[in-house]
Amino acid sequence: MYNKALPPAPTRVSQYGVDPKTVVKRGAELKNIVGVPLTDLVTGLPPVIFPGGSNDVAVIRKETEAALAKVDMSKITAGSTVNILASHHGFTFFGGQPYAEMLRTIKDVVEQATGCKEVRLRAGLGMRFRETEEYIKAHGLDEYFNGKALGIAPIDAGIPIETELGTLFGLRKAYDADFIIHAHNSDVREVHFHRQVDRAVKPFGMSYARCETRSTYHMNLGPRAANFVARSIFESEFVQSKFAFACFLTMSPAGATGVDADTDLYALNDRVTVGGMRDYGKIMTLFGAIDECIAILDFPCPVPYVFACGVIYANMACANMDVFDLDYPLPPYTWYTETMYDDHGNPLIPEVPPVNPAIKTVVHNYAWIGYPSVFFAEKSPTIVVGKQQAELFDRDPMNLNYMKHALLADNLDGAMEFAYHTTGTRKVILFDGAAGGLNVSEPLAEHLYKVAPGVMERVEQKLLPKWLAQRNVDPALLDQVA
Amino acid sequence: MKTVRVQAQVDMELCQGCKTCQMVCPVYAIEVSRVDGKPQVNIDHDLCVGCWNCEQRCPDHAISMAPCEPFDLATDVSKFDYDEIHALCRKAHFHPKQLVCYCTATRAEEVAAAILDGASDPAEVVRACGVGSGCGIECNQPILRFLEAAGKTFERHKLSYQWYGRTATVWDVSDQVKKEHPGFRFDSDRDLLNSVVEAPIDNTKS
Repeated sequence: MYNKALPPAPTRVSQYGVDPKTVVKRGAELKNIVGVPLTDLVTGLPPVIFPGGSNDVAVIRKETEAALAKVDMSKITAGSTVNILASHHGFTFFGGQPYAEMLRTIKDVVEQATGCKEVRLRAGLGMRFRETEEYIKAHGLDEYFNGKALGIAPIDAGIPIETELGTLFGLRKAYDADFIIHAHNSDVREVHFHRQVDRAVKPFGMSYARCETRSTYHMNLGPRAANFVARSIFESEFVQSKFAFACFLTMSPAGATGVDADTDLYALNDRVTVGGMRDYGKIMTLFGAIDECIAILDFPCPVPYVFACGVIYANMACANMDVFDLDYPLPPYTWYTETMYDDHGNPLIPEVPPVNPAIKTVVHNYAWIGYPSVFFAEKSPTIVVGKQQAELFDRDPMNLNYMKHALLADNLDGAMEFAYHTTGTRKVILFDGAAGGLNVSEPLAEHLYKVAPGVMERVEQKLLPKWLAQRNVDPALLDQVA
Repeated sequence: MKTVRVQAQVDMELCQGCKTCQMVCPVYAIEVSRVDGKPQVNIDHDLCVGCWNCEQRCPDHAISMAPCEPFDLATDVSKFDYDEIHALCRKAHFHPKQLVCYCTATRAEEVAAAILDGASDPAEVVRACGVGSGCGIECNQPILRFLEAAGKTFERHKLSYQWYGRTATVWDVSDQVKKEHPGFRFDSDRDLLNSVVEAPIDNTKS
């Protein structure tokens, strides 16, 4: 007997998604969808501080204050200017409340500890140039930061940064202060890109960087070498002269586990690396053990970023490969991979791995525009629910061809009926942001319960030691990371 | 290739004349001036490629995208000697059939053809084949790599935040960096990208 489906993350009003009123049925409301607690499947997860109990963000404030109490802020003085650098990613967890509270607390603690009155928020983003403006507004951060909260986009004014790779370009508004505080989150998110190499450093090459730098990462260096972009910027004299400390909301697939802060970003990075591989490595490997499924996208994010148990759909598309294993050069989806198919859809070289063949059909019930997503519709049969959503994608300059490769269904039930009929599978997985567990169909729940113990053992005994060794991270850190 | 279906329009009731739209336009289609202290905005619809940058960054929400008579940004690859296209692609370290713009599905061969057809700066390349008129981020460097490979130099437009310059590729990384940071597997990734550049050309040329 299974539990009833978990509540999905709510829809959200945004210029990047359809009007929530048009999302008339969520995947979790389908017959035979059940909720599987993550702790039933994944062993050794650290305790979660949020969500839980009354979902009061006071716990985030308390954890942030405790983490910052150990941080040396002496270089910041009463007359300093300070930019707290944030990213849109953090706002996608639990409506953004915990991340927003961490940002507010950093401001309060810095002001209190240093006397500094000029603490601003600069929130970087991906490809939706107003997304963090929407979060700033939704969480009242502009008022909290006395009118000094800004969304910063990769096409805004740049600033050259001299690095070991030559000149790269940051965003002027990210660095227009005496000091910067790097305020991020530790969920693994785009493992297909960063491969859990310098995860904590990556925003220096992305959220805080100009389009030239981002294009360097995704087009110029190769799928693993690309991660040097962020490191070279972070280690530049310019950034080092401004870097005060980092403060991270630490995450597991089950939720937020705490707050970690350090003036040594690489020390924090090692902890993030270990925790990420240990916890997300298990659930991602478990997803790789799904033999066939219909994936329902049902979350307020673009197609590759909708998530289940903290794992984004892009990683499900790569789950037929161990993306943590650095001996594999090329995951099934990265922007390098996407370039390596010719105009007939054939790989240019045999080393291009296929997109996860276990995904038999994708039902796109609710996902946003603002990320080039045609690759996913080209590689997996896709059914989009509702003409409003199809029209939205047709208008998006990043998705002009998405609907050329997708079918359109009037409603979710019709889409599912077609998917069941054409795939022959009844295994369904929802990428709907449900907290603390997975929403799946009963046949998939049965499969997961059956294979999970073997997967957990394989990760703990074989894979995790290999992943750690590839990154020169001391396994003893595992005991130190909650 | 891209079919442009919308173009920018400005609501002068809302415009404060801050020039952000002018600064973020990748093809220099917008000019903002002041006449008698009042802002004037000229959007050249012969140039606008419908990328949405201005709409997305205007702090006053004064710009919207309006449907226009659809037109194509495209260069006919078949007009050129394919060996010439292949040679330029190879010099820029691309395979002719490689995708260089995820948003518009523009391939390397078309970018090369656009340059062979006379495009000599980034804005002209964008207008010639649509590359760079979607997200405005990821194909930035391929465009600059192609121009450099073709021997085209250009002055960065002073009244623009665009096209700051070409940055390092894996073919440029120094031996010292490789030696000091072996974990980033520079040579292995360079070999992977080289194998794509050297992959056979399909006979079904587009």
